[in-house]
Amino acid sequence: MADAPMTSGGLLVFKPKPSLPPPPATTGVIGWMRFNLFDGIYSSVTTVIGVLLIGYIAIGFYEWAFVRAVWEASSRNECRISPTEFGTCWAGVEFWFTRFIYGRYPDAEIWRIDLAALIFVLWMAPLWLPRVTAKVIVGLSAVMVFPFLAGYLFLGGERNWFMAIMVALSLTWFIGTMVHVAICLVTNQGLGRWIIQATGFASRDDRLQKYPIIILSLIAYFVVYFLVADWQTVEVVPNQWGGLFLTLVISGVGIASALPIGIVLALGRRSQMPVVRVLCVAFIELFRSVPLITILFMATTMFPLFLPKGVVFNNLASVIVAVCLFSAAYMAETVRGGLQAISRGQYEAAEAMGLSYWQSMGLIVMPQALKLMIPNIVGSFIGLLKDTTLVSIIGLYDLLGMINAVSQDPQWIGLHHEPLFTAAVLYFVACLAMSKYSQHLERKLGAGDRR
Amino acid sequence: MAVVERPRSGSDLSSVINDERYRSIFYQILVFGTVFAIAAFLVNNTLTNMAAQGKAAGFDFLLGTAGFAIAWTPLDYKPVDSYLFVYWVGIVNTLIISGISIVLTTILGFVIGILRLSKNWLIGQIAAWYVEVLRNTPLLLQIIFWYLGAFANLPRPKQSVELFGADWLILNNRGLYFPNAEFGELFWLTAVGMLISVVAAIWYNKRAIKQQLETGVYVPIWWKILVILIGLPLAIFLVTGMPLSWELPVLKGFNFQGGTFILPAMCSVLVALVIYHSAYVAEMVRAGIMSVSHGQTEAAYSLGLRPSWTMRLVIIPQAMRAIIPPMISLWMNVVKNSSLAIAIGFPDLVNVFMQTSLNQSGHAIEIVAMVMLFYMTVSLTISACLNVYNKKILLTER
Repeated sequence: MADAPMTSGGLLVFKPKPSLPPPPATTGVIGWMRFNLFDGIYSSVTTVIGVLLIGYIAIGFYEWAFVRAVWEASSRNECRISPTEFGTCWAGVEFWFTRFIYGRYPDAEIWRIDLAALIFVLWMAPLWLPRVTAKVIVGLSAVMVFPFLAGYLFLGGERNWFMAIMVALSLTWFIGTMVHVAICLVTNQGLGRWIIQATGFASRDDRLQKYPIIILSLIAYFVVYFLVADWQTVEVVPNQWGGLFLTLVISGVGIASALPIGIVLALGRRSQMPVVRVLCVAFIELFRSVPLITILFMATTMFPLFLPKGVVFNNLASVIVAVCLFSAAYMAETVRGGLQAISRGQYEAAEAMGLSYWQSMGLIVMPQALKLMIPNIVGSFIGLLKDTTLVSIIGLYDLLGMINAVSQDPQWIGLHHEPLFTAAVLYFVACLAMSKYSQHLERKLGAGDRR
Repeated sequence: MAVVERPRSGSDLSSVINDERYRSIFYQILVFGTVFAIAAFLVNNTLTNMAAQGKAAGFDFLLGTAGFAIAWTPLDYKPVDSYLFVYWVGIVNTLIISGISIVLTTILGFVIGILRLSKNWLIGQIAAWYVEVLRNTPLLLQIIFWYLGAFANLPRPKQSVELFGADWLILNNRGLYFPNAEFGELFWLTAVGMLISVVAAIWYNKRAIKQQLETGVYVPIWWKILVILIGLPLAIFLVTGMPLSWELPVLKGFNFQGGTFILPAMCSVLVALVIYHSAYVAEMVRAGIMSVSHGQTEAAYSLGLRPSWTMRLVIIPQAMRAIIPPMISLWMNVVKNSSLAIAIGFPDLVNVFMQTSLNQSGHAIEIVAMVMLFYMTVSLTISACLNVYNKKILLTER
């Protein structure tokens, strides 16, 4: 045999040649560019046009933002780069930046806003820590209990009895949450379990186990209550609130109250009872079919007429009520969409198990529906954050209102473009971050449903 | 078989809550009573407050003289006209601005949405960033940006810009000027001709499709349709002696005379509305096209359809089902969002009626109700159309 090396022990062995590398034009950067940018004559032409467009915009922006920039100035007049021309006056933005964030809140009191923001972040942060238990309670309390503490921090002044109780409750809850998180991170179990074990009740009857928790909570509450009883801050009237802070207050309250009201409205709309259904449909359709600005005008012109004599609503309160009603109507439709996505079998199974209406809603339907709704809820929050700019039309100084105020300040008169650009960047970053996060959440929560 | 009857105990009060038959009625009465009580409380307060301020409710004020000028309207409005006419002017202005925006935004949105799906990576990225930037910044900010950044800085009439080098399309700080069509006496014949040619083209197209379905032979007819569409009206137009002339805007003194103009504020609102909503349309178009399964494309290719035909005959018709319902509610949003024009002083319904008229006359409740009535009518009309469309596609489904 001529090719003896191919056989071993009488068997024919096939030895392939090593495969050639792919042609250089199909791999690496060049290959990628050939497929994605220069795939044919049309593609090449559009790529060139695209590059020119990007280049044109980038050069224009570079010239505006950097070449013509003036970084140091104390008035718009000093921002001139030639006797007839104004430069890009970043000095003005720098000068006003604190105002963009906090509005006309007194400088000495700004720490209160920062503190509330910090508390909120700390309160919400455990939701992202995998080892923390009872996340639903932590999250819900951040939305339901925290606003009282924040409201007092923002407003200040004397507390009436209701606010005194709620502020102490809110503070106690915050401290409890922080202790709970610390214990979770160290021992991998919640605060409640830990208290039961530490007090030696773990071996006792199940029915007795709740008592040490209740007693300790009450003690903590009263300690906090008397500690903060004399604590008081200077009153800052809502007229001085403004900037991004006000934007976040309005949209935050709006979305937090929209969810519960929206759920009730959506359930009402699907209800078997005609009176309830008609009322809910009328409310939802009315508020969804008119622009927000008309509702805001209604709030500022008609709410004062609605109230009994002697009760005075400030503009901010009217606006917040209007925004809540508006976003609740939209949220109701979001919730309805989520409810419709739950198959009838789930309702029937819940009924077959003998659950009552509220049990089947709360334990079976809502948890599934809320998961489906998360992207839409975040979407409506983004929408609301953008829509709160409308309050500047009726004279509140939200972020956009502050920016309009800059151009009317005698020192900085006519300074429009730079503050507007800054605001656009702030809104863009906030909204984009939220929408990307909701997409991430959607993927994460949907992991179980994907095949 | 024993039928277990629920124990009836009509006299027992707890049966009202526990018995299913009465429970629903009980809750409904409770809800209705609560809502009615709140409404009565508010109405009572309102009447007391209005009486204290010496105001009377009623729509009589509508016939009173408005007394203020409106910066832009196609109607023949004068300050001596009534508030009712102001309402009408506002409605017309709102409808004009939202109508133009809807048409332009749909076209632009389709283009961007298709670009976004482009195989060319760079174009896809540019379109994606266009959508992200526009959707994630507030519309009001964009309107103000277009106004202050572009249309408020225009030169005075003497230094006007001639758009595209045409001396009949003029932009200056008073607005955008373009020629006004002046129709001659016999122009209606051309209009009738156009109508006839459209009907004829539709009929011809249907016949061609029917023929293709019967015989399987495809005859390119698009140029014949073009001839019908353009030829007939053009022939009538020429025969009747070209009864159409253009009134050009001409600089006279400090301003342009003649022609039609739109305010810089209106230009800003139009540009902002169109660009902002086009980003949403682009997303809908993209989502709609993506919702058609890839198997459809492959099936079409394996039948030997060209890519352009695949798109036109297979993908787009199926994508339309997913695109049209959100598109219609977007149109509704355009109508509602056109009310933001108030921020830069374009005289739309909210501006002239809900702000100026309300401040002057003080009839808050009546005016708010009238404005809301208008928007509700528009949106209920649009959603009625949407329901009809939804029923139609449901029927054509399997």
